[in-house]
Amino acid sequence: MSSARVIAAAALILLFTVSVIAPAAAHPHVFVVAKAELVFGPDGRIVAIRHAWTFDDMYSAFVTEGLTTGDALATKEQLAPLAKTNVEQLAEWNWFTVGKAAGVKVAFAAPVEYSLEEGADKLVTLRFTLPLKTPASARKAFALQVYDPTYFVAFEFDDKAPVTLVGPPPGCSTNMWKPDPLGTADTSKLSESFFTNLSPGADFGAKLASRAIIACP
Amino acid sequence: MPLTIRQRNFALALAGAAVALLLADGSLLAQTGRNPFAFAGNEGSVNPVGIGGWLLAQQAALYQMITGAVRAAKADGSAVWTLAGISFAYGVFHAAGPGHGKAVVASYMIANERALRRGLVISFLAALLQGLVAIAIVTVAVFVLGVPARGFTQSASSVIETASYAGVAMLGAWLVWRKGRDFIAAVRRRREAPAQPAAVERIELVAAAAPARYAFAAAAPAHAFTAAIPVRGRHGHCHQSSAPAHPQGHIHDEHCGHFHAPDPRTLGTGFSWRTAAVTVFSAGSRPCVGALFVLVFALAQGLFAAGMAAVLAMSLGTAITTGALAVCAVFFKGLAVRLAGGNWRRSELIARGVEVLAAAVVLVVGIGLLVGFVVEGA
Repeated sequence: MSSARVIAAAALILLFTVSVIAPAAAHPHVFVVAKAELVFGPDGRIVAIRHAWTFDDMYSAFVTEGLTTGDALATKEQLAPLAKTNVEQLAEWNWFTVGKAAGVKVAFAAPVEYSLEEGADKLVTLRFTLPLKTPASARKAFALQVYDPTYFVAFEFDDKAPVTLVGPPPGCSTNMWKPDPLGTADTSKLSESFFTNLSPGADFGAKLASRAIIACP
Repeated sequence: MPLTIRQRNFALALAGAAVALLLADGSLLAQTGRNPFAFAGNEGSVNPVGIGGWLLAQQAALYQMITGAVRAAKADGSAVWTLAGISFAYGVFHAAGPGHGKAVVASYMIANERALRRGLVISFLAALLQGLVAIAIVTVAVFVLGVPARGFTQSASSVIETASYAGVAMLGAWLVWRKGRDFIAAVRRRREAPAQPAAVERIELVAAAAPARYAFAAAAPAHAFTAAIPVRGRHGHCHQSSAPAHPQGHIHDEHCGHFHAPDPRTLGTGFSWRTAAVTVFSAGSRPCVGALFVLVFALAQGLFAAGMAAVLAMSLGTAITTGALAVCAVFFKGLAVRLAGGNWRRSELIARGVEVLAAAVVLVVGIGLLVGFVVEGA
């Protein structure tokens, strides 16, 4: 009796502790519509990824606030310092880019040719070219994902032109694979996945990320 | 009856596991670097399955609806109400996510707080403060200094974050010191004096709690266990109404009619306005990035007032979730003590143990946040 009570009390404390941290649903505060261009070298291997990330209204407004008056658009020059900070800070996050050639992660070098610009729709777009350290073959499929593992930023590939191939060898194809939308996941598996997902840095964002699969003959 | 070694080990293991889980949770200790697209606090990671995923989907949808509502308000002033409604709902869902504020409030409630009403006030003030800080930052930047909100936000939030994390650590240290002392005293008492017969003390306690001054007693189902929590039941009854007047000391006068513990001083409500203020500050001073974005977006649309209304509505929503969490914290502690029930000395020991554990969580979270922030900045 007494030991059962002690155990029950302790279990309850544990349960509460877990429940405080359990609904660890983060907040996407920034929404990005991403487009990627895969640049092929003369030998038919992928040498770089050109990103174009268009931010949502609120983030765009925050970034351009105070730079201009009236309806004028912020210039590239005005936004250049932020573009620089962005790509520099993105290094720590591996540029939110995961590329896999035949299932093996590829490494990226520091971005070149980066810019931030405000479009006519007042949305801000960050562009940067991410070179691969070693050119990768797409013969056994090249998979590309763009996501923030912490889901502070919600990335989504553009509907119309998510991935374009620049100078690919003939016969390459691109397929988009989308995960199940949020909230439709099997809740009965919560307990199991909850514990495996507790560690920081677990790829939560990855589960929501679309995947582009490029295959060349 | 003392715990057997096995029982004690089991309880210790569970307590250890609870602390380990808290520490393992990245959302509390922002170990990763600052997100390149975050200009203020960064709240950690996500679990996109199950309940977490559902909350996330609601939040994301509501957040994006805010943009539309601000635009609608520009065309038609009455849409401000829609905007406020959406923002309120967003606040409710948003607060259910990670963030050290809730952890601090919940742990503080477990460690220190007994009066629910005060806990609710603390939650509400923390949420309100969060909204007001966001409004103040944008107002000062744009209308006072005339500088872009983005740069000012970055410098202001680094100062605020440092202060807020230091506040959490200080609060934790204070709680650990105070609750640790109470716990040791409880252990000593338990060792020195044998337990009172359970039946007698139960009757006393039920009698003491019956007048229902204690906030919990307002809810009928909760009443039963309020009565069974000796420490809280008696003192809640005696000192509840007068606690703010003499926050630390306890006058044990005759008509109070409670049962004197060996060291009554250590069984106080433990409430002080100073710690409550530190809790409010450390839980609520860090502005939410979402609120800043909404404000600046509204400003860009020429609707700063509507943005402020939205942010305050968001705070109200956040207050509801944090308040619910504070209620749960107290409820769970009470339930744990009741389950351990029977022997009041043991209940006291467990209550004190839980308090120390919660205090340790506040301290560890505070130090973790502070160290993480300093390391990140270096």
